[in-house]
Amino acid sequence: MRAHFNRTAFLEGVRDMSPMLIGIVPFGMVCGVGAIAAGASPIAALAMSMIMFSGAAQIVATQLLTAGAPFAVIVLSCFVVSLRLMMYSAAMAPYLRPLDQRWRSLLAYVLTDQAFARTIQRFRESDDVAANASYFLGSGALLWVVWQLATLLGILAGQIVPASWGLEFVVPLCFIAILMPLLRDRVSLQVFIVTAIAAVMLDAMPLRLSMICAGLFGIAAGVLADARKGSRRG
Amino acid sequence: MDRQLTIWLLIFAVGATTYAARMSFIAFFARRAMPPWLAEALKHVPVAMITAIIVPSIAFVSPGALQLDAGNAKLVAALVAGGVAWWGQSTAAGGMIVRQTAVLTIAAGMIVLWLLKYLVG
Repeated sequence: MRAHFNRTAFLEGVRDMSPMLIGIVPFGMVCGVGAIAAGASPIAALAMSMIMFSGAAQIVATQLLTAGAPFAVIVLSCFVVSLRLMMYSAAMAPYLRPLDQRWRSLLAYVLTDQAFARTIQRFRESDDVAANASYFLGSGALLWVVWQLATLLGILAGQIVPASWGLEFVVPLCFIAILMPLLRDRVSLQVFIVTAIAAVMLDAMPLRLSMICAGLFGIAAGVLADARKGSRRG
Repeated sequence: MDRQLTIWLLIFAVGATTYAARMSFIAFFARRAMPPWLAEALKHVPVAMITAIIVPSIAFVSPGALQLDAGNAKLVAALVAGGVAWWGQSTAAGGMIVRQTAVLTIAAGMIVLWLLKYLVG
């Protein structure tokens, strides 16, 4: 593992991910508060953040627990919201291929929305696998540590921030900050528009299936747009 | 079943599925090449999935209640934040500016949201 580690790139990853903490801290706190509200002990609430390490899955699990949903329904719902992670896994796969098994297993553990979206561009633009992997690990490690601290803060301090502040809105705002630099060409704009329309129209789908379905529509639109562009050129 | 036991079982069951999802294709394509058409299609994953995640939390004021006008404070705040992010990235590139733009984007969105809530009540 040491052979691949690039300290400079690791620290760069930590630094570039730091603005996202504005969104991660309240989100992690909400997960801590939610787990306690669902009846989890403080240790279990923290274990949830360490073992699941997925805000979306944790929110779904605690909400359904509180609502008294059956065990299998909770696991299935969490699986559906985790389907997007499979897409990230596929998108990252070619770039992680040159790494050894330990690196791949470790990087998979810290694969999150933010780390993926903020890092994938670097993987595409640079061939330095060791530096890219270390950069990704730095981003993921910062998110992991702060996620645990935020959960702990939520467990200990509970609901210290009033709901009327609407602080949960920083989460979509963080994603807007990640999204805008990615909308650099016509095809990306088309993917954005089709996904947005599909997300609104499919919102009523059960088990939050709308997220993955809207995403698939957007990707299909992108593939079609690429094909049109290719045939015009050829 | 005991509540704490249920919760612990749930943590491990969901933890296993999320890790399996994360590891799935990284493991699958570790030993074989990815078909080029799939690699091309996957280039659209970041834009598509981020959009799919954020749009419902912006366009709906409460579950099932779509509101696409200026009365939706979250929509206005998101548009302003998007404008700030767009302006920031077209002004300059480079790590420093990218980080500052992200902070400005989030700050602009929250300030607009709070102003609208305060002004409209």
